[in-house]
Order: sequence, then C-alpha cells, then structure tokens
Amino acid sequence: MSLQSESREEYLEAIFKLNQQSEGATVGRVAEDLGLAAPSVSQMVARLAREGLVERDPASRILLTPGGRRKALRLVRRHRLSERFLTDYLDLPWDQVHDEACKFEHVLSDEVEERLAAHLGNPQTCPHGRAIPSADGELPDEAARPLAELSAGQKSTISFVSDEQPDLLRYLSSLGLLPQTAVSVEDVAPFGGPLLVRVGRARYALGREVAGKIFVRV
Amino acid sequence: MATARSASLSTKRRSDSALVVCLAGNPNVGKSTLFNRLTGAAVETANYPGMTVGLNIAAARWGGREVQLVDLPGTYALDPVSEDQWVARHGLLDWQPDVVIAVVDATNLARNLYLVLQLVDLGPRVVIALNLIDEARRQSLRIDPRALSQALGLPVVPTVARRGEGLDELTAAAAAVAAGSNGLGHGRAVRYSARIEAQVAGLEEQFADGPAALPEGLPPRAAALALLEGDEELVAAFGEAGQTAAAAGRTSLAVPIAAARHAAAAAIAEACTEGRASAPAADRWWAATTSPITGVPILLAVLASVFAFLFFVGGRLSELLTSLWMATASPLLGSAVHGLFGYGAVAGTLLWGLDGGILAALAVGIPYILTFYFALALLEDSGYMNAAAFLADRVMHLFGLHGRAVIPLMAAAGCNVPAIMGTRVLSTRRERTIACALVVLVPCSARTAVILGSVSLFVGWQWALLVFGVVGLVGLVAGLALNRILPGEPEGLVMEMFPFRRPSLRLVVRKTWKRFGTFLWAAAPIMLLGSFALGALYETGLIWHLSRPLEPVVVGWLGLPAVAGLTLLLSVLRKELALQMLVVFAVARYGVAAHDLRTFMTPHQIVVYALVATIFIPCIATIAMLVRELGWRRSAAISAGTVGAALLVGGAVAHLLPLI
Repeated sequence: MSLQSESREEYLEAIFKLNQQSEGATVGRVAEDLGLAAPSVSQMVARLAREGLVERDPASRILLTPGGRRKALRLVRRHRLSERFLTDYLDLPWDQVHDEACKFEHVLSDEVEERLAAHLGNPQTCPHGRAIPSADGELPDEAARPLAELSAGQKSTISFVSDEQPDLLRYLSSLGLLPQTAVSVEDVAPFGGPLLVRVGRARYALGREVAGKIFVRV
Repeated sequence: MATARSASLSTKRRSDSALVVCLAGNPNVGKSTLFNRLTGAAVETANYPGMTVGLNIAAARWGGREVQLVDLPGTYALDPVSEDQWVARHGLLDWQPDVVIAVVDATNLARNLYLVLQLVDLGPRVVIALNLIDEARRQSLRIDPRALSQALGLPVVPTVARRGEGLDELTAAAAAVAAGSNGLGHGRAVRYSARIEAQVAGLEEQFADGPAALPEGLPPRAAALALLEGDEELVAAFGEAGQTAAAAGRTSLAVPIAAARHAAAAAIAEACTEGRASAPAADRWWAATTSPITGVPILLAVLASVFAFLFFVGGRLSELLTSLWMATASPLLGSAVHGLFGYGAVAGTLLWGLDGGILAALAVGIPYILTFYFALALLEDSGYMNAAAFLADRVMHLFGLHGRAVIPLMAAAGCNVPAIMGTRVLSTRRERTIACALVVLVPCSARTAVILGSVSLFVGWQWALLVFGVVGLVGLVAGLALNRILPGEPEGLVMEMFPFRRPSLRLVVRKTWKRFGTFLWAAAPIMLLGSFALGALYETGLIWHLSRPLEPVVVGWLGLPAVAGLTLLLSVLRKELALQMLVVFAVARYGVAAHDLRTFMTPHQIVVYALVATIFIPCIATIAMLVRELGWRRSAAISAGTVGAALLVGGAVAHLLPLI
C-alpha cells in the first residue's frame, strides 16, 4: 500500500473521529489531531473532496460522504480489531495498544481482516469498550453523544465511556456509570457548571469535563 | 493516583491480642456514626505518607475482648484509583482484619452491594450492617435480611446507627465470625463470565507454580482479579516474576468485571427488596436547591445566615467570654503574678502570655470557631453542603478546585485555622494546596478587626472596602496562578448528591465538640507561646532592636514609619495585635496623642499598613496548622508567597496612591 493512500486513510479516520465529537472536524482540528500543518491539511482535504470522499458544509466543517464514511469505518474496524489482537494475543496492556494499532491497521488486507475477526471470535468491542464496526460498515454507537450535551429532563442510556483516563473510567464503573445503564439528567448548572444526573437510586453531580467523556444515546 | 507508592505500613500497629475490626462502606451511610457508637472518645488518626485521607482507629471492648476498630474512608469501591479508595484498600490489606463490618445503606442497596461484592472478592471475612432501615421503611422499602444473608452468604444485621439499634447483635455477629474458623463470613463470590473466569483460573495456576509469593497477603483469586482489573500497584508489587503473570492477565477487563459486579449487586438487591420505593419527600427539596433559579438565592441565603450566625452568636460569645475573663480570672491572675514576681519583666511577660494570650483566644479564636463548627456540622448533617458545592463548582473551577472548596473558604472569614482543617473535604493534594493558599488570603475576624480599627476608623469606610477589594483581587490572582503553576490536572467533579436528612442535634454537638477539641490542642499552645514570646521581647526592650534591619523595606519601599514595620513583624504571633501594638509603640515613641494613628501616619500610610498586615502570613497558629496538613515545604512556600504578595501589593499601592 502506498504511503499516500495510508495518509489518506489517516485523514478519513481523523475526520470520522472528530465528527463524533461535538465540535466536528475542521481543518484546524484535523491538523491538531494528526500533528500536521494546517496548509497541508487544507490541500489534502481539497484533494479528498475532488475524489468524492469528503465535502464541506457552510460552517466549513468537513463531512464524510457515504463513500468516505465506508472507507473510514473500514479503517476504524481494522484499528479496533488490531487493538483486540494486540491485547488478547500479544498481551500488550490496553493503554499502549492505540499507537501500535495505528501502524497495524494499514497493513491488513481484506482477507487478513476477515480472518483476524473470525479468529478473535468476532468481538463487538475494542479493549477500551468502543464498538467495532461490522464488516459491512455498520457502527451501532454512532448516535452516541456526550452526556454533557444533554439538557435537564433528558433520559439516556450510556453507550460507552471514553478511555482517555483509565482511572476515571474505573471510578465511574465502580459508581455504576457503565455501558447499557440508564442515566437521566435532572439539572444542569448554568455557565458550564456541572450536571446533576440520576443513576438507579443514586444522584451524582458530574463536572462538564467528566460528563463529556460519557457517551450516551438518548 | 495509581503510581506505585511504597506500601510502607506506617499506620499498621496491630497488637496481637486484640481483635482487629475494619469498618467499610460507601460515604454517608452512617459508618462514622456507627464507629462513634461502637467506640469511646479516644480516636487516633493514622495517615499514610502523602495522603490527606486518614484512618480513624479506636479501641473498644466487646464482652471482655479487646477490639481495635479501624474506620476506613467512605468509598464506593476498593480500586486504587482515587486517594480515599487507595487508603481504604491499603488499610484493609495492611491491617489484616479478623472481620470487616460492611455498612450498607438500605435505601440504596444495589449500589452499596457493589463494595460488599468487591470485599468478598478481596478475601476478608465480612459481616453486613444493614443500616438506615428506618429510612428505608419510611420510603416503603422492605428488605428481607434473611434473604440478603442467604444471597450473599454473609451474616446480615439490621441497624439504625443513629439510635444505636441493633449494635449488640452486630458486635455479637462480628465477634462470632472473627472467632469462627468454619468459613463463616467468606461470602458467595460473583461468578464472572466464562472468559474472565478462565483467565482467573489461569492466573491462579500460575501463582501456585510461580516462585513469587503473593504480595499483601492476598488470596490467589483476589490477586488474579486485581491483576485483571489492571491494578498497577499490584503489577509492580509482583516484581519481575509477576510481570509475566500481569501480562497474561490482560489489563483490559476492569469494565466487564465492574459491570458483572454491578449486575450481581442489582440482582441480589432486587431479590431481597419488597415494595417499590416511593420518591422520598426530600426529592422536592433537591429540585429547589440545585436548579439555578431557586438554588442560587437559597445558596446566598444560607451563606448569609452562616455569616450572620457566626458574627452574632460568635460576637455574643466573644463578649461574654471576654467580660467573664476580665471580671474573674484576669484580676486574680494579675494579683497572683504581681504577688509572686513583683512588677518586673518576668511578671510582665507572664501576664502577656497568661492574661493577654488566653484573653485573645477567648475573644477571637474560640467563640468564632465553636460557632462555625456548629454551623458546619449542622449543614453537613442536613445534606445541604452538596447542593452548595454543586452550585459553586463552576466558580471554584477557575482555581482548579471543586465546589466543595466553598465551605472552608467561607470558614476562613471566621478563623483560618479550622478552615485549613476543613480543606480535608477536598480529595487531592493539589486541590488542598490551592485551597489552603486561598484560605490564608481570606481576612479572618482578627484581620477584619485590624482593617476596621485602622482604615475604617481613621480614613473612611470606602477605603476599608478598597482594602478588602485589593485583598480579594490578590486571592483571585493567586488562585488562577496556582491552578496554572501546580503540576497535575484539576480533578473532574464526581460527587454523590446525598438526600436531605433531618440533622440529629446529638450528632451535630458531638461532631462540633470533637473538631473543636482537635483545634484547641493544635492551636492554643502556639497562641500562648506566641504571647509569651511577644511579652518577653516587649518587657526586656529587645523588641526595639528588631526594627533596624526592617527599615529599608518598611520605610524605603512601603513608606511606613519604622515602628509600623515592627508591629507587622510581630503580628505573626497574633494578628489582631498588629493594631494594638502599633498604638502601644507609637505612644511609647511619640507620646500619648499617638493613639490616634493620624498623628503620625498619613491616610495613605494607614491603608498600606492595613493591606500589608492583611495579606501576609495570617499567624503562627495558622502556619502550624498548614504544616500539619500540607507538610513544611508547601507551608513555607505558601507563607513566603503571602509575604511576597504583601510587599509587592503594599509597595505598589504606596507608590500609586500619591499619584491619584
């Protein structure tokens, strides 16, 4: 696989990932994510647009076209399968596999990907608990959005908790803030203050940054 | 938090004959109440190095048997991911209790059982205190203790710790479990998914073959689960041989294991509970106290009432104690000291310390602190504190703090010493350092007296407001700066909002008294010593020699008279003395007319004087408390920082004011 197509895949993956977050993908944020200069990102995005993989909306956010999305999801699938392989077979700790998987994902052919998935027992989630897209490009958790975006009175179900801070993830798990758990927002303090949520019979105040790491489906 | 900290067992003082009993439980389930009920007054606190959360240890006798009761911090789980959980976990492993009493809240059984199941996984023998059953009944929840006991495989004793109900049965059950070698109290462990169990079994096998002894006396299953949950400390403790085992236990199962435990806890709770909980009446209160429209006015009203309570009740108490002292002890002391030592320097020094020192404690420290502790305990017991913390969180965030910090900051306006102790409500050392630095910058009642007695009296109240404003600005800048400078990230807020409960006066008084005692032992000796030192310096005339080296700073930079510098220096011993001493010294130097500060200071000088006196180190008692809570290094940094800020701001104002 040529270097160029590898970098093209990286772009699509980054755009996909950023679009899952609330602010969306812009040239600046893609550049930040990939550690590149904004002008070269701008150039590449223009090329991807010519190839029909991305388009820009009026707010100049970068959106994936259906074709671009398919490619991005395929890469996300390979990334997360690779992570699974690295933890389950090569015994790497889960907080180290992300970077390794970034290299791994590009060398998988369709056939290797398929066999890898079968060998791993078609896992549903990566070691961090995020859903692995299916081979036909379905991602069940795409509708998930940060709990912090909900307003008072909304009910939701936790989809996953971001793994950026493993200690926080574990702390929240011990409180019962786990995937597939119902959580309702009772109050939101103004000016970016905390959220008051109810889980089971307990109420918790969650700071914005914490609530931003919990992804829910309404 | 999970960085490998040396597990030096500095708190472990297990005596061989005594039964060791640990109390574990979620926060706010009545664990401390139970602890107090089960033990007498003598409670020691043991701290792990670098940890701000301590273990309370006390002795008791159960039917003739000596018992050491260890109160673990209230936690939701036992993973070493936060300071309180780290301490709870290590307390449990270091003390090797004969039995653990797990206190669970009957009104929220499912969440509380998570900790119980984790305890069962960890291995010690456990007895359940099913607490708050009265509260559960009020919410029409009926829990079958026998069914719960069967489901968990553990003895369950219903209790109402507040009223002391069920405690005899509890201690009897705990003693029986501790004595029995029949496996009683080991509980029924959660069966995890086949995938997890297979890995647990694999690890257990490795431990059986492996050369490495299991650290911390963990049973093999407990160690295997802890490794699978990614316990970094344990991985480190295993050493080289353990690394392979740790690698085999893929460190990615924390969430599935937690999920399985929660599911098991929920199923058990469901099976043992009859009746659907009616929403407690307190829910309506919640809505009012946390919604921004009604919550903020309520918060302001509560803060105002605490202040009013502090100033009126504290003020009254202060007047009362002062007049009592003046009428009785003071003349007696005076005649006794003069009778024994005549009228020389020795008698003078003794009177400074005994009469002046105790009077200052009675007039400034004790009344405000006692009333503040009472108000604090009342608020804590009612459950309102969480609402206040929720609303204040955004503002406190600017300083890298939680909403919880609002309480000690408020307390600081009474006296800094208990406020520094109050920063224990914060969970990390970083937060506590910032909070302590800010507390020190809040003018306490003594410094308010200095500002009012100098600036307000001789220059005008608008200028006093200006002084308060500048001090507030210094605090704001300090908070913002510390948040940037101190290493580490501000912790995100994750706080359980407890339901409102009717405070019990008995518990509030007991809590107030306990804290007050701690304060008195820590601060009073230092206050007295300070007074003696001051008296000795004054009576011997040595004090005048101290002023010369200060002159370049005091006269040159701050533009103040030299005597003023001396009183600033000495006010470290007792802050309110800054003003009193200024008058005393001025009279000694300039004659009787100098009791009016304006005879020898310009209005600008008075403003600068009050500013500097307010900003720099509060007093020696505060420094002592800082050292106790933060260690000498951070205390020295905070103290030096305030001196620097005082000189900088004082000098700047001194040079700017004439330009206006």
